[in-house]
Order: sequence, then structure tokens, then C-alpha cells
Amino acid sequence: MSVSEKFAELLWAEKYRPRSLKELVNQEEIVRRLMKFVEEKNMPHLLFAGPPGTGKTTTALALAHDLYGEEWRKYVLELNASDERGIAVIRTKVKEFARSKVPENVPFKIVLLDEADNMTADAQQALRRLMEMYVETTRFILIANYPSKIIEPIQSRCAVFRFTPLKKEDVVGRLKWICEQEKVECHDDALEVIYEISGGDMRKAINILQAAAALGRVTISHVYKVVGLAHPKEVREIIQLALAGKFIEARDKLRNLMVNYGLSGTDILKQMHREIFSADLKLPEDARVELADYIGEIQFRIVEGADDEIQLTALLARMALLGRKIGFTL
Amino acid sequence: MSSEKLPWIIKYRPKRIAEVVDQEEAKAKFIEWLKRWPNVPKKAALLYGPPGCGKTSLVEAAANEFGYEVLEMNASDFRRRTDIERIAKRAATASSLFGKKRKIILLDEVDGIAGREDSGGLEAILQLIKITPTPIVMTANNPWDQRLKPLRDVSELIQFKRLSKRDVIRVLKMICEKEGLVCEEAALEYIAEKSEGDLRSAINDLQAVGEGYGKVTLTIVRELVKPRDREHDPFETLRNIFSAKYAWQAKMALSQSQLDYDQAKLWLLENIAYQYTDIEDLARAYEALSKADVYLGRIIKTGDWGLLAYAIDLMTAGVSMAAKNNPKDKFRWVKYSFPQRLLMLSKTKDIRAIRDDIAKIVASHLHISTALAKNEVIPLLRVIFTSNPEYAAKLAIGLGLSEKMIEYLAGAYKNEVLRIYRKLREEIRQEAAKAEMAQAIGEAQKKVPTQPVQQPATTTRKSTSSKKKREKEGGATSLLSFVKKK
Repeated sequence: MSVSEKFAELLWAEKYRPRSLKELVNQEEIVRRLMKFVEEKNMPHLLFAGPPGTGKTTTALALAHDLYGEEWRKYVLELNASDERGIAVIRTKVKEFARSKVPENVPFKIVLLDEADNMTADAQQALRRLMEMYVETTRFILIANYPSKIIEPIQSRCAVFRFTPLKKEDVVGRLKWICEQEKVECHDDALEVIYEISGGDMRKAINILQAAAALGRVTISHVYKVVGLAHPKEVREIIQLALAGKFIEARDKLRNLMVNYGLSGTDILKQMHREIFSADLKLPEDARVELADYIGEIQFRIVEGADDEIQLTALLARMALLGRKIGFTL
Repeated sequence: MSSEKLPWIIKYRPKRIAEVVDQEEAKAKFIEWLKRWPNVPKKAALLYGPPGCGKTSLVEAAANEFGYEVLEMNASDFRRRTDIERIAKRAATASSLFGKKRKIILLDEVDGIAGREDSGGLEAILQLIKITPTPIVMTANNPWDQRLKPLRDVSELIQFKRLSKRDVIRVLKMICEKEGLVCEEAALEYIAEKSEGDLRSAINDLQAVGEGYGKVTLTIVRELVKPRDREHDPFETLRNIFSAKYAWQAKMALSQSQLDYDQAKLWLLENIAYQYTDIEDLARAYEALSKADVYLGRIIKTGDWGLLAYAIDLMTAGVSMAAKNNPKDKFRWVKYSFPQRLLMLSKTKDIRAIRDDIAKIVASHLHISTALAKNEVIPLLRVIFTSNPEYAAKLAIGLGLSEKMIEYLAGAYKNEVLRIYRKLREEIRQEAAKAEMAQAIGEAQKKVPTQPVQQPATTTRKSTSSKKKREKEGGATSLLSFVKKK
């Protein structure tokens, strides 16, 4: 055991992230094409598209590693569109980066822009100009969940790589391998449950695995315990209180969830959506559908740029109205 | 809309010139000018004076009496030359072709354009005055702005005086009689006093009280009627919005408030639930607020401030008109509360800052956004930190978390995690010191092989203390980077 492991632990999603293209087990076709770029030391702008946790970022980092060697971090500018405040900030950072030292054997540096589909169409237009302006010295790798949200002119300037959802055996196999490395006891059925919960998202699956392992062993009950603890029961209570007409109590709990847990409106709506179809919530079936419609409408309004708390409060009021109609009691 | 539902300022608007209160000089001058038109030196008249003193009323009464139709224009319609020509043509053709009524073009509140950035509007009006086929009448509160000089030069200036308190009371009394309202003389006096000669605002106040309470007493009036030039505090604003009988009253409540629409939004969010008891009314009110908020979001998204008007309509009138099942709730006395969100946000500011810092660390380790770190990873970290202190402490060191961050993640288990964390750090420090000593000795021996052992010993002590200092500054990260190098 090395010194660092005796005292320190890392998140497994980081610890077991493949460092080189050679270590990537799935997405073979993509890897084959990228290895060609490494061989030729040349590549166009790239667009990696696909669902979360399918290896887009990992592949981009591995590509950089294989191009530049261990010093790869020097030649990669990592940006996350949802964390950078606007295109102006991105422009400044790219400008500065483009001026920095050029690697020895590779004629370009890499700007890695994650969650690019979160950018507005206008910002993307500005991004397109940036991509052209610095094309001599930099290549962009754009990462997006939904390629359709990337404007046409950018798509046409990029080689597009589509990442497909990981297969169950791939995810479960990887989880099992990690457990072996960590010498953690795990049950196969528990790993399958993790796969189901994470919806094929490898990063999410590994995070859940690590939390479950922290409870001792990776068993089904530990997995459920972890997920239950991580997703507070408050959401169900809020729905029940609202339906029962206890509007002010429901609202206070909602506010607590938003401010203290830091959950965003969309997160809460997603959890609400799960809850209204849960058998634990006793509701007439058509009421579930009506609730889904409300929740969807509110999510739409939030996406339109409205305020989370106002929208969710309006949702609770609607729930209270529906609760009265169907005679809901706690 | 039946006539009973009309705002009283419209219902009791003068039909004839004689009904316009006072302003005898202005009346004479204006009528003379209108009768002689187009044989007048100036084709436009500028009626100026304080708000609510009868400028627009006189134009309408005169038009009514002399058989003109009033063509009211908004000053913001005047942008391009083509607009002017279109308006002039409309005014001219309509009168001659169909033999219908002659027109008066009325431009209300032209002083508004003086403050505007573009002077194009002013140019256009001057242009219109040159070619107009019909009388042009403008109104203004203050015509003496330097920028309005060209307009003054081509206009017949007609001054309106502030109405006396006696005049205002006379009109209020007349309305009370016609409405069959019980009115205390002292109450009317109070309203007139506060109106400062603004008859329009006095009538609005009378209606607000009369229709809300069915009688006009000094006690109620004292409570409700405030001088116009004072902005209303949040509590008054909410009361005025909720108790409004008409949409315009609710809208006015916000325009007279200290609160801007963004603050008003939060105050309403907080207090609708206390004002309305019927669940359907409540849902309707929150739906209106929700839609107002959607408009505000669209303003940010599109930069189109023209949408603000709709947001304000919905958050004021929309909320106020929501009380359909239980209209009495509108007037219920409620102790309003300060928006809790603002309080909670200020109370939890430090905690949220810590959470955001953790999110930043996690995000950079996992190459994800901070939002994803907050929603997906931090909840799992909390599970680990509250169930496996040993492992949590190691993660804290591996990620380079501060003690405050550990406290946040471990909650009730913080002491347990911190104890192990400190113990681990002490062990790391010792090992680092040992390694450094070994290194120092090695180097010293390499450099001066014959040197006695005393010299390296002092060096070691010195470097250990500087190391300690660095630990304090850099926290666990610098420690780990050292450990990793080993």
C-alpha cells in the first residue's frame, strides 16, 4: 500500500477513470477513429454527443493524454458552459489560452467545452467565430447531451461522434472490477440495481457504488439506503401536504429543500415526477396523469427563465386544488 | 361593462365645457382658438398645468360640444416621417370624404418625450404641426423643459391652474350624491386636502373607499388615503393590490409603491397564501403570479422590456382579481410577512458558500459542472460522511476539503470525522517530516560528506517549521501533493 492510499481516498469516478484511449473498453468505433488522430497528430474540431455518463469527457481527456503525454493538462483548457458566466468570459479565457505555449510535437492545443448545449444560440454563434479565429493553434472539443441543440454552423465545422448508451454488462462489469480493486464485497444483484437506478450513466453508477461500499458491503439494501438518504423523503411529504390542503406547511418544507439542500427547481420537479407514479402515494390513476401535466407545465416555465420558487409554489397551489377535488387526506 | 363598473373618473368626465371645473381663463382662450381654426397664427395648442386639473377633460368636453372627434395619439407613435404622413392623411380624409365629424388630434403628456433619448419624436411632431389639416392639441405638466422650446414656439400656450380644495370638495360631494354614498364632510375634506388639487386622484380615492367600504368616513379615509407623492411601503402596497376592486387600482398600487416589480413579486409570493383562504382563489392568484414571472423570465431571455407591462398586469390585477369564490378575503386584515426567502438566503449565506466551494472541488476532480456536483455527488458524499467516518476523513484529505466543509457534509457526525481527519493529518505531517529529514540528511551528506551531523539537524528543524506554515496556508491539498510525490 502506498503512502497516499494509507491516508487519502479519492472519488472512484476519478480514481478509475481510464487515462488513455487504450484503456477505454466500450465505444470501440469512436476510439479507433480517435487513435488515428493521435497517430497523425492532427484533428478537426470535434463534437462528442450522447447521454450522460457514456464516456464523452473521459474520451476527450484520454485523447489529450495520448496526444500530449503526462503533461497534457498544460495544453488543455477545460471549460464548462454551465459554470462560465457568459460567452464574454469564455472568449477571454480562450484568447489567453491561445497565446500560451504551444506543445512540441503537436501543432495545436485543445479547448474542451463541456455542456455546450446549455449555451444560447447567440452564444454559440460567438463560439463559432472563436473556433474560426484560433483554428491555427487550437482545436475545440465540444461535449453535449443533445446534438440537436448545437447550431448547424458549428455542427458542420466539427467531426461529430455519437456516444451510445452503455450496455448493462459493460456497466455491471466495470462496477465489479472496481469492487475487486477496492477489495469490497459486492452482490451481483446489487450491481444490477445500481445500473437500473443510474439509467446507464457510468459516473452516477460509480458514485452510488462508492457510497454503498462506504456502508460496508455493496448489497441491494445498502444501495437503496444510499439512494434513499441521498434523495430526501421531503419531496413526497411536500406533495402529500399540498394535496391535503396544508399549503403553507408544504411551502415551508419546499423552501427548506431549496435553500438548505440547494436543490434546484428542476431537480425537485424530477423527483416529484418520480413520486407521483410511486405506489406509495395513494392517488386515483387519472390524478397522477393530471399531476404529470402540471409538473411538466411548471418545468417548461422554469426552462423559459422563470423563478424556481414562484413556479413551484404555484404548482403546490394547483396540487392543493386537485387534492380537494379528489378528496385527498393524509 | 355596465356603467356602474366604470372607473368614476370616466363615468363623471365632463360632457360640456361648463361642467369642467374652474379654469375660466383657459377655457376662453382655448375655445377662441378652436373656433377660429384654421385662421389662427398657431396651428397647435399646448395645454399645460398640474396633473388632474382638467386639461384633457376640457379638450374632450369642447370636442363634444362643437362636434369634433378626438383622435388620441401616443407620443411614442411619432418615430418616422411615414407615421406622421399616415396620421395627417387619416385626419384629413376621414373628415372630407365621409362628411363625418372633424377631428382634433390630441397628444397627451408631450413632456414625456423631452426626457427620451431620441429627439426623433419631437421632430416628427413639429413636422405634423406644419402639415396638419386639423387642430392639434397637446398637454403637458411641465412645458418649460429646454428641449420643448421648438414646440412652445409653434404652439398657442394655454395655462391651467391648480384646482382649489373647495372646487375638489364640490365635485366629490356631487359624486357622493349621485352614487347614493354616505359621506362625512370631514372625510371629503381630508381627501381633497391630500389630493393637492389633483381632482383625478381625489375621485380615485373616493371610489376606492366608497366601493370598498360602502361609506366614506374620516376614520377609513385616514387609513387609506395617503398623499400621492409619497411612495407606499410594502405593507400598504400589498393591501392596495389585494383590496383593489378594479384592475387599474391594483396596477396603480404597484406604480405608487416603494417596491419595484422584482421585490413585489417576492412579497406577493409570500403573502398570497395568508390573504386568500379559498383554495381555488389561492391557486388562481399563484397562477397569475407564476405567469407574470414567466414574462419576467422572457424579458431577461429576449431583452424585450415591452413585456414588462404584461408581467405587471398579471402580478397586480391578476392576483387581485383571483378572489372570485371568497371576494371578502380581499379586504381581510392580514399581518403580512417579509419574504422568507430573502431572510433564509441571508441566514444561510455562509453555509451555501461552503456548499458551493465543495461543489467546485468535486467538479474539478470529476470534470463536471458545479450544478451536477451539487445535485448528484454532494448528496452521496453526505451519505458517506454520516455513515463511515474513517473513510470520510480519508476522502476529505484526498479531495482537499477544509474542516468547515467536513462539518457541512458530516452534520451530526462532524466531531467523529474531524477527530480522524486531524489524526490522519498529523500522521501525514510526521511522515513528511521524516521523509524530509531523511532527504536533508542525504543531501547534506552528499554535499559535505565529512561535515558532522549537527549542521543538518538544524536545517531539518527549520524546514519542518516552514513546512508547518505551509500546511496552515494550503490545507490538505499541499500535503497530499507532497505525499503523492513520495
